[in-house]
Amino acid sequence: MIFLFTLLYQKTAVQSFYSRWYSTVMFSYFSRYWFDFIWVMTLKEIKARYKRVLLGFLWAILNPVLQMLVIGFLFQFFIPVKIDNYFYFLFAGLLPWNFFSYTFSKCTPLMLNERALIQKAKFPREALVLSIVFSNLFHLLISLGLFIFLSLFMGYLSIFKIVILFLAVFWLVFFTIGISLLLSTLFVRYRDIKFIVQAVIPLWFYATPIIYTKSLLPNWIANLLQYNPMTGIIELFQFIFTNNCSAVSLESVIPGIIISFIVTVIGVYLFIKESQYFDDWL
Amino acid sequence: MIKNKKTNRNLAVEVKNVTKTYMLRHEKPTLIESLLYRSKNEKHVALKDISFSIFKGDRLGIIGSNGSGKTTLLKLLAGITKQQKGNIKMNGRVVSLIDLSAGFHPDLTGEENIFLNGLVIGMNKDEIESKKKSIVKFADIGKFIDAPLYTYSTGMQLRLGFSIAVHSDPDILLLDEGFAFGDEDFREKANKKISEYRRKKKTLIIVSHWLFELERNCNKILWLERGEIIEYGNKGLLNKYRKSFE
Repeated sequence: MIFLFTLLYQKTAVQSFYSRWYSTVMFSYFSRYWFDFIWVMTLKEIKARYKRVLLGFLWAILNPVLQMLVIGFLFQFFIPVKIDNYFYFLFAGLLPWNFFSYTFSKCTPLMLNERALIQKAKFPREALVLSIVFSNLFHLLISLGLFIFLSLFMGYLSIFKIVILFLAVFWLVFFTIGISLLLSTLFVRYRDIKFIVQAVIPLWFYATPIIYTKSLLPNWIANLLQYNPMTGIIELFQFIFTNNCSAVSLESVIPGIIISFIVTVIGVYLFIKESQYFDDWL
Repeated sequence: MIKNKKTNRNLAVEVKNVTKTYMLRHEKPTLIESLLYRSKNEKHVALKDISFSIFKGDRLGIIGSNGSGKTTLLKLLAGITKQQKGNIKMNGRVVSLIDLSAGFHPDLTGEENIFLNGLVIGMNKDEIESKKKSIVKFADIGKFIDAPLYTYSTGMQLRLGFSIAVHSDPDILLLDEGFAFGDEDFREKANKKISEYRRKKKTLIIVSHWLFELERNCNKILWLERGEIIEYGNKGLLNKYRKSFE
């Protein structure tokens, strides 16, 4: 997979697109160096993670599968859930959720963990956050690829759904980058953010329709949940991969899109403002 | 007017009215606390209204006792942190050798680390690719290049770090104290490289307590004390500095 990516990258097509893009756009900040840096840092994250682990990439898939089995068994016995193919439904929600929660919880104390680098060298600080996001995205894409393969046999997929999938992944990555930048910036000054994040993750998990559907809830709670961006994202994934497509509609995702946009704008703004002073606080 | 422009072009570093303050914190600040009540912020002024400039080809040594703001100044010049007031202008590619192994990752191979650290220093991928062979040769690590970095000895890591740094072809090189490391053989190599920079008229900025080193490598000396410039002049300042201790 890495090989393929490297090959793609080195293909002149990509590079000429690159050079045309960054020479015409006024964003001189996003130079060739910037892209190189993010690229190499992302490769580092991926390689370093599996360098000395026997099963390698299998772990990326094994983790949500195990999670799915445990939750699936528990909930089938204790709570009567009326969802077709419940395990399958769970998996569709767990994949994006795991990507999201792993990424932003890893990014929160990131600046402290990388303080050696920050104190010693000048480089685009956002590369640290982006490399974590993209390396986790890489794992998500592998799992999604297998999942799509599976879904083809189930017969739920269509070309329209694949288009929606692209949009959903884009939204997920967009929001994850935003919140990761925001939390990592805040953490540099306020070290208790880490504990707040640790406390919030399980709450957030249950406030997102991953193990249930919104239709099981009273109306007012269901409406409230729409303001959680993860609700819209997870529902899109469930819509794509299962035939359980009652919940998602255009009106129901709009509050989530607005919230994730606000979070990302604040995150990017704070990061740009604060990142040049990170060294002072570490 | 024209003359003014010409001299500006020969400037390598221009520092104007730079002030750097740090927030003093007695305990770790928490979000909850800062939301509940406004805490008083004590400020520590690390650099106070500093101005100086050096020309291309100058070799500046920065001296001063501990806590005088030497390292802060070097960090500002390197772009690691930013001043609250004033302006710093660096003309050309700046490479700082504050820590040679900052960009290394222990689990990756030497070759992968060359790319990683090379980027941290400021080279782009193509540049590193074209210089890779020469970097490995200069670092003298031989067949270890494909081994993960945690198998390297400390000396080998330093050598690789230094080799990457000098291959980045900087216009302005920043050195923190104690860059004389490794065995005798390598120290020789490193010194040779520095005199090569001198011949090529590259700008060099060294922070050091080791006056002997400064005497040999520098032509200008900046004496800092408590965040202010005591004096800025030529090598003669070193003697004055020495005398101030007697």
